[in-house]
Amino acid sequence: MFHKTLIGVATALSLSVAPIAAKATELFVYHSWSAESEVAALNVLIDALAKKGITWSEIAIPHESESNVGLINLVTGGNPPDVFIESNPGFYRDLKQMGLAQPVTELFNSEHITENLPPAVVQSITVDGDIMKIPTAIHIDGMIYYNKAVAAAAGVDPTSWTSLDDMWADEKKVEDAGYTFMAMGGNTFQAGYLFHALVAAMAGPDIYYRLYGPEPDPTVFDEPALRDVIDMHRRITSQADDGWVNRSWADTTNTVITGKALMHLHGDWMKGQWRAAGATAGNEFGCINIPGTKALSVTVDAFGLLGGVDEETKQAEFEFAKIVTDPQIAADFAAKKGSTPVRSDAPSGAMDICNTVVLDGLRDIGGVQNPFNITDGDWHMSIWNVLFEFQSDPNMTDDDVIAGLKDEYDAIFG
Amino acid sequence: MTDILPLSPNQKAFKEYPKKPAKIKGSSIAILIFLTMCALFIAVPLYVMIVTSIKHMDQIRLGEIFSLPTQVTFEPWWKAWNEVCSGVQCEGVKVGFFNSLAILFPSLILSIGLSMVTGYALALWNVKWAGTFLFILFTAAFVPFQIIMIPLIILSGIIKVYGTIWGVAIVHAVLAMPLLTLIFRNYYKDIPNEIMSAALMDSGSFWRIFFEIVLPMSGNILIVVLILQITSIWNDFIIGLYFGGIGTKPMTVILANSVITSRGEISYNVDMAAALLTAIPPLVIYFVLGKFFVQGITAGAIKG
Repeated sequence: MFHKTLIGVATALSLSVAPIAAKATELFVYHSWSAESEVAALNVLIDALAKKGITWSEIAIPHESESNVGLINLVTGGNPPDVFIESNPGFYRDLKQMGLAQPVTELFNSEHITENLPPAVVQSITVDGDIMKIPTAIHIDGMIYYNKAVAAAAGVDPTSWTSLDDMWADEKKVEDAGYTFMAMGGNTFQAGYLFHALVAAMAGPDIYYRLYGPEPDPTVFDEPALRDVIDMHRRITSQADDGWVNRSWADTTNTVITGKALMHLHGDWMKGQWRAAGATAGNEFGCINIPGTKALSVTVDAFGLLGGVDEETKQAEFEFAKIVTDPQIAADFAAKKGSTPVRSDAPSGAMDICNTVVLDGLRDIGGVQNPFNITDGDWHMSIWNVLFEFQSDPNMTDDDVIAGLKDEYDAIFG
Repeated sequence: MTDILPLSPNQKAFKEYPKKPAKIKGSSIAILIFLTMCALFIAVPLYVMIVTSIKHMDQIRLGEIFSLPTQVTFEPWWKAWNEVCSGVQCEGVKVGFFNSLAILFPSLILSIGLSMVTGYALALWNVKWAGTFLFILFTAAFVPFQIIMIPLIILSGIIKVYGTIWGVAIVHAVLAMPLLTLIFRNYYKDIPNEIMSAALMDSGSFWRIFFEIVLPMSGNILIVVLILQITSIWNDFIIGLYFGGIGTKPMTVILANSVITSRGEISYNVDMAAALLTAIPPLVIYFVLGKFFVQGITAGAIKG
């Protein structure tokens, strides 16, 4: 991994170069958020910090890659941020080796935070037994958001579906009414997210973790359930209309918003697009989990804290952690961002029906971690590539996909 | 004297020969088609950008990217300039515009000044190991930036310029030095020896000859290098991103922050307006100085 190669250099440098240290009551924050909803959510934290006398100085660097080069460069350049958005557990292991990690296990236990987080969130923020991350938001990687007007016009009710078979039973009805049944986009991100959401939903946690665990189990390729998932991936992606090629998830959701398609199966950040179009959950659009799902794949956005800092900065960092996980602030943050609060005991006043679906699902069904949090980055990207190739080539069979995954596995772990 | 008789209406001044039908060569047609395709390659995306930037999102959501706006709005342009966010700072790309200007001038002065003097020394003075130095410079021109990025970050951290405008300027100067030094050196090596000899006989020192003789002769090549450098520094993303500090991010980084999002909502009209605003300064430079650019290159080529 790229940043692993830098550890030696970064360690030496972080010790030899004096950091451009933030003032005691100023937190230097690194993040990658600039969208309107994201900024509104961050402002909830900034306002709460200001009331505690802590100011926010930041550096925002966009990135969409597995390796968070911007953050690594800040550490390497001797200017590490006090607080940073990063989910990859490998990064925290590297920080620990450099003496720059800051666990919050004790703080979370003494403040009764841990006991009020859903188990999937606790799992996601724990690295090698220590809680290393401050969770800010829950997103579900595979939900169905549908256009209520289209559903009414086609005479279908997605909330009545209890299995994927139920869902497909309504396909013809929707198509006969003149609508696309499922909206479809086309890039590796969407193909990969659809696949891991289906693995969690259809094959369940055991097969999911055997495929996406830190050390994948090659016997998983022989599981019939994995083939069922591949078949379902094909069936869903076959819904693609003429414009699917290179269509982003946002544009795909737009086809549902504008009433061309009934629904979109993707991450629940689709809500941001709906809200930007002036629509609200329960009125213009509805949302359900994948019908009959066995597990929800959960993305937990989280901040990390820098260790090895002076006592005052450390206290400011801890105050930040307490603010982020305060039930009311967590609810306000989620309402602005369009996510679900990380606290199970967050007040429900600001929640919409989609938040309720998510929290009920996490309580009743349970979740698995997003692959970004647990598996090898090269392996994860390889799965994306194989599945996108499968989506793009109608002649590829299940066997081809399994063979492709095996080849990638051998190349990375063999 | 002989009188010139006027022509009668039936007479013609010149004898007419039958016109040959104009032939268009196959190769000309191929070139025309190729050039048209090249033009469309740039023009079509530019058209989409411009029309998208003046559409309402309601129309954009329909996905018809080539359609003309049903209702023209300039709000996205205003929003892009004044309101888009880079992190929690929501003051538009104008913040980046002024940062880019602040980065541009020291970067230009450092990179051009350093390369000009080095090129002058290598071309007109007996510098020990000049050949070896030139070879190393030439080799360095082919080293990708990504390979030396981390060492440069460490070095800039050690000399305490990491995260400052001067840090960005120094990195620009270092990275531009191989190419610019070669350009200046090749330009100056054609200055006649007689001029240098005369200058030396007049007790000209290194700096005096540079400022009083060489610099005034450098107009053409300076224009070329200025355009190259302004475009390269203004369009740079990676150096500004990794070497700029808090509040010193160039326009390209502010643009990327406002446009790139993996899971946030997307406003294509504002994104397109912000991208066009960022692209305008280099375009203006080309339109204003383009003629001089061609002259400069031609002058250099003839001299060479």
